[in-house]
Amino acid sequence: MTDFARHEHHEFQAASKLALVDVPLQVALGRLTTTLLAGNRRGFAELPESDGLRSHAKRIKEHTLAHLDQYLEQLEASIQRVGGQVHWAADAAAAQAIVKEIAFANGVKKVVKSKSMTSEEIHLNAALEADGMEVVETDFGEFIIQLAGERPSHLVAPAVHHTRESIARVLSEKLGMELPDDPVILARAGRRVLREHFRTADMGISGANFAVAETGTIVLITNEGNGRLTTTWPRVHVAIMGMEKVIPRLADLPVFLKLLARAATGQPLSVYTSILTGPRHDEDVDGPDEMHLIILDNGRSSILGTPFRESLQCIRCGACLNACPVYRRIGGHAYGGTYSGPIGSILTPLYDSVKENPHLPHASSLCGACLAACPVKINIPQMLIGLREVQHHEQPSHGESLAYRTWATLLRMPWLYRFALRLARPWLRWRAKDGWRSTMPGPSGGWTASRDFPAPARRSFQELWKRGL
Amino acid sequence: MSDERATFLDSVRHAVTLGNQAGRVAPHPGPWHGYRMRTEGDLAAVFAERCAIVGGQCHRVRDGAEALDVVDRLLKERKARRIVIGQGPYVDALDLPSALRGANRQWCTVAGGPELEELAESPHKAALFAADVGITGVDWLVAEAGSIALLSSPGQARSLSLLPPIHVAVAHRSQLLADLFDLFDILCRLGHNPDLIPGLPACVNLITGPSKTGDIELKLVTGVHGPAEVHVVLIDQD
Repeated sequence: MTDFARHEHHEFQAASKLALVDVPLQVALGRLTTTLLAGNRRGFAELPESDGLRSHAKRIKEHTLAHLDQYLEQLEASIQRVGGQVHWAADAAAAQAIVKEIAFANGVKKVVKSKSMTSEEIHLNAALEADGMEVVETDFGEFIIQLAGERPSHLVAPAVHHTRESIARVLSEKLGMELPDDPVILARAGRRVLREHFRTADMGISGANFAVAETGTIVLITNEGNGRLTTTWPRVHVAIMGMEKVIPRLADLPVFLKLLARAATGQPLSVYTSILTGPRHDEDVDGPDEMHLIILDNGRSSILGTPFRESLQCIRCGACLNACPVYRRIGGHAYGGTYSGPIGSILTPLYDSVKENPHLPHASSLCGACLAACPVKINIPQMLIGLREVQHHEQPSHGESLAYRTWATLLRMPWLYRFALRLARPWLRWRAKDGWRSTMPGPSGGWTASRDFPAPARRSFQELWKRGL
Repeated sequence: MSDERATFLDSVRHAVTLGNQAGRVAPHPGPWHGYRMRTEGDLAAVFAERCAIVGGQCHRVRDGAEALDVVDRLLKERKARRIVIGQGPYVDALDLPSALRGANRQWCTVAGGPELEELAESPHKAALFAADVGITGVDWLVAEAGSIALLSSPGQARSLSLLPPIHVAVAHRSQLLADLFDLFDILCRLGHNPDLIPGLPACVNLITGPSKTGDIELKLVTGVHGPAEVHVVLIDQD
């Protein structure tokens, strides 16, 4: 199928093993996810009735997805009314072509970009650079990643896999100046270089956190202010948005604003929330002359009609990543897709293919921490189980079927069950250490390859009961 | 062009129908009637406290004369030379450029108008990019999060609160709102009626503290793109 969700079809387990022995990565991941997860819990705890607000947000998303075609049409009409332009992109290639067309029409040479996972998804930078345009990522983390020639490893902290030393090295080399590993000095150097790009860019490209159908409003949320700079002086603003980001009413927006930053970092609001309605008015001093919104499908409509529709409620806060015991150990790159963590384990197989991503639905202990952290209560564990079911239907395993049929037969015949257990118990206890078996022969080895099997007790409960305990 | 639109919307419509067969056509839950922050006591004190939590500084002053003193002190301490200033009800009344004239201070009042149709020829761009301090009014303050709400207009350029390393906002206690929902009640009245003049402005910015990044080992650094300092001069009386 399409290749957009994954940058390379790599081996999940091999990549995870590498991540587990990468000491700086482990330190950085521990620090990031622990801090952000604590922020998430504090953020929800400090807001009275936050649980009710999360349910309210979920109901808005459910309603929107059940009427998505109508809201998209309403959004288009509203944006046109306020002087903006709307473009429809079925896939990555179409979206790239639209951006290029707008750029050519405006003689664009330099593009500044504020952080956008959607543009990562469609590989926009490479496409524009191939046509001779200079593309500058302006979120500080993304800027580092771009200079290093890498890709983001966390939804809201793209450069988490870097240390201050490696960032100093990258910036010193690429900016041609000797910089110490002091975060303040590094950030100041970034500000200076990027400010000049903001001053001279012809086009600003952003994502969109939300788009309001009723008013034609696009909402950008950043902590650094690069979203604002991207939409203040460049003559043309192009926002690229996955079609599920539309919300019906302006009154719905504060519901999500209150939840998004709290879920992501524990802040009551991110530093900058820009609520953009059309291009600048004639008498305004700054703001873009032209505003374009590209609405992207890129596989979303094929999810919309399935039981996995709920995954389209995601507002990309990153909370499930921080909460996930698997993400916290292996980081974002191991997942191999644009979106990582629990939500990535759903989106990547759905956008890409279930068959090509066999390990992702299993990269979870189904502990439910992601669901507890999610501001819109997406039932991620349930969908991971659903994907495992899809896998089973797509590629039924005969061995597994036989095992379950045998199990079912045993359970229906108590005498046989007891007999089988009596045989199995000594065998399972054999070579067990501290009550666990780490290796098993034959097909059972699949289980113990990545986890231990609990050894049974010497005697069953029934036996003990018969002997009067 | 229109073909792509039709195909796009057709596939969405098809998927929506398919998905809704499972009986999951949820009604819109309507407006939120749950918790909103309500303060019986001193809203200004709540704002000042929350503003400090997010890294801003709120200077509560009695009147215009005290506000002038605070701004003068800020400019002196920061050795500000180039100052850009916008227009707004409470900031105009102070007439800062005349009141705080100084040999080393260049004041530039940034205001749009009908002559500004071509952005590229904007006379203000260089001044805004070079400024040490930007001074604005505010439209509302949201106590819940310690936020400033600024609506773009010819007298209130987006850059004033964005490009200079220091942002000073002059506000009055009558502009205080308790909860974020209160702000959106007002914005919705602008947005609901497209024929209403002025309607929604091209840009509403909610500013909650100074510009921040944690991209280097999660160490908090302020001022990476926007201002490193945000000051709210909050006037108590008229």
